[in-house]
Amino acid sequence: MKKLKIVGFLCNWCSYAGADLAGVSRMQYPEEIRIIRVPCSGRINPLLVLKCFQEGADGVLVAGCHPGDCHYQEGNLYARRRMLILRSLLAYFGIDERRFHMSWVSASEGKKWADTVHSLVKDVRAAEAEAKAGVPVW
Amino acid sequence: MKESALKNAEAAVQKAAAALQKTAAALQETATDLLAQKAVDLVIGYGRSSGGDVVPLFVGRVEEAQALEWNQHCTYNLVRYLTDPEVIGSFGSNRGAKKIKSGAGMEEATAKGAGKAEAVAGKVAVVVKGCDLKSLMVLQSENQLRRERLTVIGLPCPGVTDEAGRVLAKCESCPPEVYNPRKELCDLIIGEPVQRPAGEPLSNPDNQDSTYRDVERIDALNPAERRELWDNYFARCLRCYACRNVCPLCYCKECVFDQHDPRWVSPAAAVASNRSFHLIRAYHLAGRCVDCGECERACPVGIPLRRINRKAAKVVEESFHFRAGLDPEAKSPLVVFANEDPEEFIE
Repeated sequence: MKKLKIVGFLCNWCSYAGADLAGVSRMQYPEEIRIIRVPCSGRINPLLVLKCFQEGADGVLVAGCHPGDCHYQEGNLYARRRMLILRSLLAYFGIDERRFHMSWVSASEGKKWADTVHSLVKDVRAAEAEAKAGVPVW
Repeated sequence: MKESALKNAEAAVQKAAAALQKTAAALQETATDLLAQKAVDLVIGYGRSSGGDVVPLFVGRVEEAQALEWNQHCTYNLVRYLTDPEVIGSFGSNRGAKKIKSGAGMEEATAKGAGKAEAVAGKVAVVVKGCDLKSLMVLQSENQLRRERLTVIGLPCPGVTDEAGRVLAKCESCPPEVYNPRKELCDLIIGEPVQRPAGEPLSNPDNQDSTYRDVERIDALNPAERRELWDNYFARCLRCYACRNVCPLCYCKECVFDQHDPRWVSPAAAVASNRSFHLIRAYHLAGRCVDCGECERACPVGIPLRRINRKAAKVVEESFHFRAGLDPEAKSPLVVFANEDPEEFIE
């Protein structure tokens, strides 16, 4: 089975701490995700996501605080609008939607983080299986 | 029966042409007055090139006002020039830049070299159709204009045609509140309100029963088919940036596609980087694009760019209940949020 390359952008305050909790709790999840810590999900420029795909990522995840929990009050609510548009444009251009995930993971949700990565990897694998031979991700 | 219908159609066309001619004469008169009274320093309108084509015309002297035209070939969105430092000089937010020589058509002006003439003192009148007015509204809402220095001349529009004489697709779906520019948004309206017969069958099936039929048809394809469809178009893209340069809403001083460090998108005209280019262009126009169609008109390789921008517009309309260009006070949907925004796609 092909080893996937998946990039995860995690906000510093919730999701990164949630992933950390999953780690210290010894929860198992696929190692195919590479984590990039960002100050806030509101910092994610859609160009960052496209850059990942251009450079060969098989999937991208954006994770941030639940609505109402943002360290900067509202960064994740801007991110929600941005990622909604980005996701629909990706789908419109025929990029399998399952390659791009967004998730709310709080600092106490180590289990949810592990589950998120499991379902992401499963989705990307499903997208890979259905992809036409010879057509690159980007 | 058929012959009489044809005659009726011909008569209607002639009548419309006569009305346009009358409006053109009134426009020349207004421009003359505005310039003579020094109410404005420059009138941006339509004129003829030496080859006979309708081109943007920059009128700075009273005696040149007679060259202004108004007819069904006036497709260009002149709002584009209101943020162009080479044209507008000290107008708007682009203080200190130079303007082009007045009275020159665009091609002559560039040939002679923009920037040699004196700077505009600052007051400009611009001729707009209703659809162009929407892009002006977006610029205004984004604080890109000094509205008090601008005289907006709205012209009721019967629909413009392409080079082959066909009415443009965007005109066929144009509603009355757009083709007759709204009084409260213009300084002057010249010409009688246009009447388009109600229930007239639209020749373009894209617009018949849904505003976004063209987009929905692509949405209905499966991912692999969509990928193939767009990749075929993106394979043609030359990355000439005509779509960006003609867009009235692309006013960034440094475009992200011109940046070298970081270089977000390769300038090479390859399918992958072209896909990134078109996606980011559409994203930057999401909630802002007013579907003036200039990008698609300017595209030398015939990429259906409106179908990309309209996808973003459709998503914005459905998810955030917003249409661009209707309200000069409105905030772009990407600089605000609502607690109840949709998040079905988020786990």
